Amino acid sequence: MDVSIVIPLYNEEESVGALHAEVTAAAERLGREYELILVDDGSRDRTAEKLREICDRDSRVKVIRFRRNYGQTAALQAGFDHARGQVVITLDGDLQNDPNDFGLLLQHIDEGYDVVSGWRKNRQDKMVSRKLPSMAANWLIGKLTGTPIHDNGCTLKAYRLEVVRKASLYAEMHRFLAPMMSLSGSRTKEVVVNHRARQFGKSKYGISRIWKVFLDLLTIKMLLGFITRPARYFAILSLPFLMGTLLALATSVYIHFVWTPQNDYPLVFPSATILFAFAFAHLIVIGFLAELVVKVGDFKEVEAVLATAEFGGSHHAES
Amino acid sequence: MRRAKLRGEPEVSVVIPVVERYGDLRQLYHEFAAELDRLDKPAEFIFVVDDSQRGALPVLRELQNDVGGSGEILIITLGGAFGESAALTLGMERARGERILTLASYFQVDPQGLGDAFEALDGPGGVDMVVGRRHPRIDSKFNRLQSRLFHSAVGRLTGTRFHDISCGFKLMKRRVSRELNLYGGLHRFIPLLALSRGFTVREIPLRQRDEDRGTRYHGTGAYLGRLLDILTVFFLTKFTRTPLRFFGLLGTGLFALGFLIDLIAVVQRAMTEQGLADRPILLLGVLLMVLGVQTLSLGLIGEIIIFTHARNIREYQVAEVIRGVGPREVPRPEPESLESKQAATAS
Repeated sequence: MDVSIVIPLYNEEESVGALHAEVTAAAERLGREYELILVDDGSRDRTAEKLREICDRDSRVKVIRFRRNYGQTAALQAGFDHARGQVVITLDGDLQNDPNDFGLLLQHIDEGYDVVSGWRKNRQDKMVSRKLPSMAANWLIGKLTGTPIHDNGCTLKAYRLEVVRKASLYAEMHRFLAPMMSLSGSRTKEVVVNHRARQFGKSKYGISRIWKVFLDLLTIKMLLGFITRPARYFAILSLPFLMGTLLALATSVYIHFVWTPQNDYPLVFPSATILFAFAFAHLIVIGFLAELVVKVGDFKEVEAVLATAEFGGSHHAES
Repeated sequence: MRRAKLRGEPEVSVVIPVVERYGDLRQLYHEFAAELDRLDKPAEFIFVVDDSQRGALPVLRELQNDVGGSGEILIITLGGAFGESAALTLGMERARGERILTLASYFQVDPQGLGDAFEALDGPGGVDMVVGRRHPRIDSKFNRLQSRLFHSAVGRLTGTRFHDISCGFKLMKRRVSRELNLYGGLHRFIPLLALSRGFTVREIPLRQRDEDRGTRYHGTGAYLGRLLDILTVFFLTKFTRTPLRFFGLLGTGLFALGFLIDLIAVVQRAMTEQGLADRPILLLGVLLMVLGVQTLSLGLIGEIIIFTHARNIREYQVAEVIRGVGPREVPRPEPESLESKQAATAS
């Protein structure tokens, strides 16, 4: 199997027929052996029936139905779990992505990239409710992961199967797949893809709130960058508090020895010193606890992540 | 009251945990057995007796002898006071029927509702679990108020609408019971756990028995325990896979609050001449910030635990996988793509 095409679907009864036709046509043109994995993310409309009809007609289709709605990340994860193709392509179920871009993505995979991410440069969505929050999120993701990608939210992406197998997605991590994978050593490329205005239904996956992005990033950064030495991560997190402690301490010392006020002695700085020091010490201690957890953990899992990094590394050297 | 002997495998397994208190178990058995008989459902009864309720054993033994050794009644005794969740888990593990009915060990509801329950489970558009709701409630006002408070708190936190999740009457398909994973106080939230695993649950009204009436008072400890249980369920059903979402929300919230308080204090210091040291609220602000940092860091520990110990838990539950069966066109690989494939395998 060369290519697995994974499409998450949620209440797409109107578009699923057209989607199947269009994706099939585009996939046929690739001239590669492919499978189409449609993940029904707990749709409540007639999506499931339509999918059954499609299955009766087309043996290259595999449908995975969820018990309830679990969100796009889980749907993609299910698709990855069932994919058998050497390359996995994901796209949205609402036909906003253009299946004719498959060839472009595969071309870059063939060139040796592990992840090829679509960039909807001419995004056909509302400015305030969709584009602005996503611009802010992308900026933050780029800053924190060091992999500036313009459009993390674009579902149209292609991955090498080995890379995707190592990924364990949850929460809304599909948004960070490309930077996540580049953190673990995969070669990532961004290509401009076509984006079309929505023909059917309305947008279902709402705006991701920025704090969620921030929290997920904290996690990803820790897990991918510091899982073998979590104490160091916590030490880095504690740095601002260390600086706070030192500043407040210095001020207290200055007040005590240099300024020496007779009355109205300011207690603010000594107490700030204590509290900052408290937070600092707490983070350091928690860091040790983290070391302990990692040490007794299933190290094979950790090694799997590191192996991805190694794989990516050796891969560059060869290509 | 004679009933037909159980032949072959039971269709329904009735699991009755005898844990906190028990009523007339003999009558309970006979009434439900008769109703199951009437519905033509061959059933087995599994009594799981907690160590604290050993007094129920003689009655059960006697009942077992009366009914006969056809495997209709199974008695499991727990080696200690392990509680209702453990009792239910053990009973469900031993169950052989495809349908599992759990009951309280005293009369809560009329067995007449069983027909409706089976209809809801096996009829068209059948659900995976049916929960009894004692309706109308004949309890004391105090108990009803208590129950309403409990359910509104649960509903608010988990976004569900149940009126009587603690009713012992639950009828479920076997695959549901296999995924419940009960422990501690979780038996009170079985419908919520089932929902979070993606099963469908329906509540049906059942007539409450007079025997169930009466005012029950609990100590403060019980209420605190219940509150903790609610929070546990909230955490487990929503954040098992993403602990930092929970701790992080809490932590950043506390931090932001503390920061805001201190910011206001500092601005006030700049505007007016009120010294910061005179203001205890400053300490509150800093303490909140520190607490926020602590909470957040615990969330990070949670993430590490999940990552290193349970990385392969999946968030989703698959209902079914349908494979296409239609005609398969054999793809004709073009020479160009063959070459690229060889190149890929060579590297």
